[in-house]
Amino acid sequence: MRRFTSGFWLILALLALWEVSARAGWVDSPNWPPLTHVLAALLRDTASGEIPMLVGSTLARMFAGLAGGTVAGVAMGLLFGASPLAARVLGPTVELVRPIPIPAIIPPLVLFLGLDNGMKISIAAITAFFPVLTNTAQGLRAVEADQLAMARTFGVPAWRRLFLVTLPAILPYVLAGLRVALALALVTTVVAEMIAGEQGVGHYLVLMQFAGRAEEMYAAVLVLAALGYALNRGFLWLERRLIGWFFATGRDG
Amino acid sequence: MTEISRRAAIGATLALPLAAPSLRAQALTKLRVSVIPVLDVAPLHAAIRHGYFAAEGIEIDTSTTAGGATGLPGVVAGQFRMAFTNTVSALLGVREGLDFRFVAPAVRSQPNPPDSMAILVRKGSGITNGKQLEGKRVASNTRNNIVWLRGMAWIDKTGGEWRKVNAVEVPFPQMADALAGGQIDAGLFSEPFVTAALQAHGDKLERIGWFIHETAPASSVAQYVAMKEDAERNAEVFERFARGLAKGTDWVNERLGKPELLELISGFSRVPVERLRDCAFTVYVKEVTEAEIAEVIATMTKFGLGGRFPEPSQLIFRTAKA
Repeated sequence: MRRFTSGFWLILALLALWEVSARAGWVDSPNWPPLTHVLAALLRDTASGEIPMLVGSTLARMFAGLAGGTVAGVAMGLLFGASPLAARVLGPTVELVRPIPIPAIIPPLVLFLGLDNGMKISIAAITAFFPVLTNTAQGLRAVEADQLAMARTFGVPAWRRLFLVTLPAILPYVLAGLRVALALALVTTVVAEMIAGEQGVGHYLVLMQFAGRAEEMYAAVLVLAALGYALNRGFLWLERRLIGWFFATGRDG
Repeated sequence: MTEISRRAAIGATLALPLAAPSLRAQALTKLRVSVIPVLDVAPLHAAIRHGYFAAEGIEIDTSTTAGGATGLPGVVAGQFRMAFTNTVSALLGVREGLDFRFVAPAVRSQPNPPDSMAILVRKGSGITNGKQLEGKRVASNTRNNIVWLRGMAWIDKTGGEWRKVNAVEVPFPQMADALAGGQIDAGLFSEPFVTAALQAHGDKLERIGWFIHETAPASSVAQYVAMKEDAERNAEVFERFARGLAKGTDWVNERLGKPELLELISGFSRVPVERLRDCAFTVYVKEVTEAEIAEVIATMTKFGLGGRFPEPSQLIFRTAKA
């Protein structure tokens, strides 16, 4: 087993500080419960199946959105690369829309898409779309012209060049965009759930806040922290497996 | 199991939950209602649980929004057939030209204390009336709603000039901490947050008034609202809703203070039963009167929310009348 790092001890120390500060009454509010109470609530609602269900539904929406946003982002990125006209026409719009904080566009999306899965998946998709698009466009510039020229010389048709040369070459860039998108999509999906509808971890968090049940509310926060961490670790593992060759050539550093 | 049949089995399993609601919807008319998880919507949940809506051939799909204000905009956009909303917010929409109609009654303030809304201050601050709140920070959960309006009316009634009060917005769950911590000087609380605040900070906070009861006893607090066009075109659906809801109201009124009711409320709001036991409730009513709507409009006009309103008789759809 790997030895615990100093970072791990810091987390333990902070959690201990949480427990002590609540127990000793340094923070005098029912909205600051001891960590042990939070963990008890977490255990209870996990055993009852409520939290696993909520996490599952939140993740399902997030991944559906990520998939849609990634496909759209790659497609649009390829279009930008293939057609300078498209890049000129659509580029300014993309640059204008990209910096808008996603939570700010939730109210109009509620108007057009309602309060259920459609709206929340769209939120996650829009979140994923922009980082994937910019990274795809950047990746295209890094595709080696020699490889493309060689494929052309050997008479590989254009659509096969796309799948055999271009897409594998830009995969590391797409994945880098996706990793950014993954962290953001969890945030925006949960925010969308907090604002509207009766779904997922986000709704649970707000409901518990309004019910004055701080233990359950922090349990949801802990779940989200663990989820974000696990998603990132899982993604790094996947990345190593998918594009080991990229790291092997030493291009990541 | 072959690959194809396994795939088909998985596909069928995934598709089942998607197909099930549409099959059920053929049997019952589905109505989507925006609610907030407060004590005031107990009759709706009672009617759902005890099948009063199903008996009327309708199925209620509640969409709870704890913090945000998606209710009325959602009705305008057609996401909801109805929204549970406080009277002031609905009337402000009407003033802006939105064709809202009160289609079913919900709650009024208490004729006698204790009432479900209270103004709290820090112990030892010496503040007991509106005059002393001039220049001070007074929190309501949202501006320009029933809480804010009655809070301003209470300040006016107890000798203060409401325009000189620094009104700030603080969500109910954070109000007690903000008051105990000194970020605000008074808070306009609603149950169960009154009880929660006094339980958690009883040594620091005290109640100085029931601001709705003291300015307008037995006055309008909240109703169910729909669009006029929908109500007129589908009047029969709203009649069935109102009938089912009235039975839910009876169920609740027969069990005031009883464990059955507290468990029902705890079930949808997730507020612990022990806290609900100490909460003051609103009055669950079975009609909306022209007089109560006229009174709210008059009070709104006095506190800067006036404008051109249709006659109250036009705003109350027949399903909400006695």
